[in-house]
Amino acid sequence: METVIEQVPLDKVIDPSLKKKAKIEVKDVKVWYDDFNAIKGIDMDIKPNTVTAFIGPSGCGKSTFLRLFNRMNDYVEGFKMEGKIKVSGDDIYKKKVNVEELRKEIGMVFQKPNPFPKSIFDNVAYGLKIQGITDKQLIEERVVDCLKQVALWDEVKDDLNKSAMALSGGQQQRLCIARTLAVQPSIILMDEPTSALDPISTAKVEELIFKLKEKYTIVIVTHNMQQASRISDYTAFFYLGELIEYGKTKTIFTNPEKQQTENYITGRFG
Amino acid sequence: MANAQYQRDLLNESGAEMLAICTSQLEKAKDAFLNHDSDLAEEVILNEIRVNALDLRIEKSCEKFLALYNPVAIDLRFIMAIRKINFDLERIADHACSISKYVVEIDEKIPPHLFEALQFQTMFDTLEKMLGKTTEAYEKKDVKLARKVFKKDKIIDKINADSFAVLETEIKKDNNIISEALLLFSVIKKMERVGDLIKNIAEEIIFYIDAEVLKHKKKK
Amino acid sequence: MNNIQKNRLKDQIFKVWGIGCTLFALILLAFFIGDILIDGIMRIDWDFIIDLPSRKPEKSGIYTALMGSIWILFLTTIIAFPIGVAAGVYLEEYSKKNRLSAILEINISNLAGVPSIIYGLLGLEVFVRIMGLGASVLAGSLTLSLLILPIIIVATREAIKAVPKSIKDASYALGASKWQTIWNQVLPASSGGILTGVILALSRAVGETAPLIVVGALAYVPFAPESPMDEFSVLPIQIFNWISRPQHGFIENAAAAIIILLLITFVMNGVAVYFRNKWQKKLK
Repeated sequence: METVIEQVPLDKVIDPSLKKKAKIEVKDVKVWYDDFNAIKGIDMDIKPNTVTAFIGPSGCGKSTFLRLFNRMNDYVEGFKMEGKIKVSGDDIYKKKVNVEELRKEIGMVFQKPNPFPKSIFDNVAYGLKIQGITDKQLIEERVVDCLKQVALWDEVKDDLNKSAMALSGGQQQRLCIARTLAVQPSIILMDEPTSALDPISTAKVEELIFKLKEKYTIVIVTHNMQQASRISDYTAFFYLGELIEYGKTKTIFTNPEKQQTENYITGRFG
Repeated sequence: MANAQYQRDLLNESGAEMLAICTSQLEKAKDAFLNHDSDLAEEVILNEIRVNALDLRIEKSCEKFLALYNPVAIDLRFIMAIRKINFDLERIADHACSISKYVVEIDEKIPPHLFEALQFQTMFDTLEKMLGKTTEAYEKKDVKLARKVFKKDKIIDKINADSFAVLETEIKKDNNIISEALLLFSVIKKMERVGDLIKNIAEEIIFYIDAEVLKHKKKK
Repeated sequence: MNNIQKNRLKDQIFKVWGIGCTLFALILLAFFIGDILIDGIMRIDWDFIIDLPSRKPEKSGIYTALMGSIWILFLTTIIAFPIGVAAGVYLEEYSKKNRLSAILEINISNLAGVPSIIYGLLGLEVFVRIMGLGASVLAGSLTLSLLILPIIIVATREAIKAVPKSIKDASYALGASKWQTIWNQVLPASSGGILTGVILALSRAVGETAPLIVVGALAYVPFAPESPMDEFSVLPIQIFNWISRPQHGFIENAAAAIIILLLITFVMNGVAVYFRNKWQKKLK
């Protein structure tokens, strides 16, 4: 099957920043669930090595839009999509596209931390295991490296065989991020990653996102506007399936172009 | 966000109150000075306490708003603007107060012909109009009204520029008026500063409503 | 009496009623087991287990029936377990959720309630006669497999349903294929539930009498089966046979055999409960 994006050989522990800078181009994308028009025609360009935040009231389509990038909507009954989405120049909805390859390039972190009911080590190694990698040393190096990247290493290094379910919520979420990093994606999608966490864990995850920005392109859906203003470079405001405004975060929060955007971020509605 | 909205409205009203108080202080100071009315002047000096109290209240409210409500966009610009407006208004009231102090401290009346030569009435009237326009712009959130203030300030600048030559001439005519002349010169300088301060306030209103920064720019 | 008092009274009445019913059932069970134990416990010794059945009750043993039951258990497991689990996985994970699959789901549940003798008749016609397997252990196992297949399928589906969707999402998001997700995440996570279902289904099979009689499991069998094609008997049939004999000694034998059968059933159920508890803890 045709691979979507040129894959760097995985038998080497490689610095992701050496890979192609991944950007996402969206052209006139529409989404339906049966008869319901969830996304009504959106154009957007996501720039490499940036953090882009999607904000908007509940049900406005931002999670649906996010899941278009790694084709997780494919599993929803009645899903239909029109338009083009290109990742690093390749249309990811072409018939020949290998969805599993796509998901190695574009990782996802979910709202509620969802570690597998296995050990910490096995969680992080899972992505490598399903690719058929058996080199024990490589796997171990990668696991350690990823746990260090998410600042979890010191907390778990004494027993990597402990069950992941025994970790705290914040630790579990960082573990899920480490698990995503292990397959060396170039883009990381995050769907409200801290909404189930306490403030200190949230701060740790935000710090992590800030660090990850150097090597990865990050898109994050958030309900928390202060979070969007704290950590993102670009912000997109969605409402009822439409992209109302998309621009630099500092502009959106000091002087947005659309009145609707201003009404939302100042709390006058939504 | 009802609480934030309510607090914001309160602050808005406080801003309007400050504008009103400082306008009235300036008017009274003008009347006191032009008519050498020391009773009126005393009033102005006593009122200064109210002005200062309101100034502190507004400062504190701004700090509280920033800490509690995380304002962004227009709300944030409003807080930033109102702090500066408040600061400038307090300075205007200060000037009004020191003019009133002159009236109280000095016994002799100033010869009316000097007032005329220096165009004091025009100057005060223009300042009053500028403050009036600015207050209207603040209440109606109207940028066009705010912009009209800049032109008027040129009148003040001209009067100020001419004052040196005028006073020189008057002193040469009559040496005895030197102390009055020096006093008048000082008051004109203060009024020129008041004109600048009102201009600043207009700039802040334009920043708050339109996000346009006019500071240090040439105005048309 | 006001509402709060009324509610408290209702509470109490229900509690007493519940305890009463439970105690009633437990006492009945205790009676039954006690009765059996009194009748049969003295008869159980090593000879009883090794002896072949004979005309004289003191010399009759359960060896052939026990071996028959073990053979049946073994064969039924290796037939029904993979087919049942695979069918359950397919129905839950792969088949499209439309009207056809809904009808299928209802019918499978219905099959679990069909009287076992019907399965016996089916087995007789298809396995014994049409396929020519005769009254063999294989035919008996195939028949029982059909019987317990719906139970295994339903248990598998329920266990898979209990695996949180978030686990599957995480697996897909890492680039796993559907099969990889099922093999690496869904099955391990649901293994406890599946195992519990399988063991419970098998413990039912161990106690089945009617279908095996129809298939032809003989009452008097002087040898233990040595291959799947051999003729056989099982414990329940042996018990049935002994109970219908007039000599009192055979009643004792029957009671002793019942104790052995109960032991097997209790052990299997106990193992099932153990696995279920372990599984529920893991998923938390």
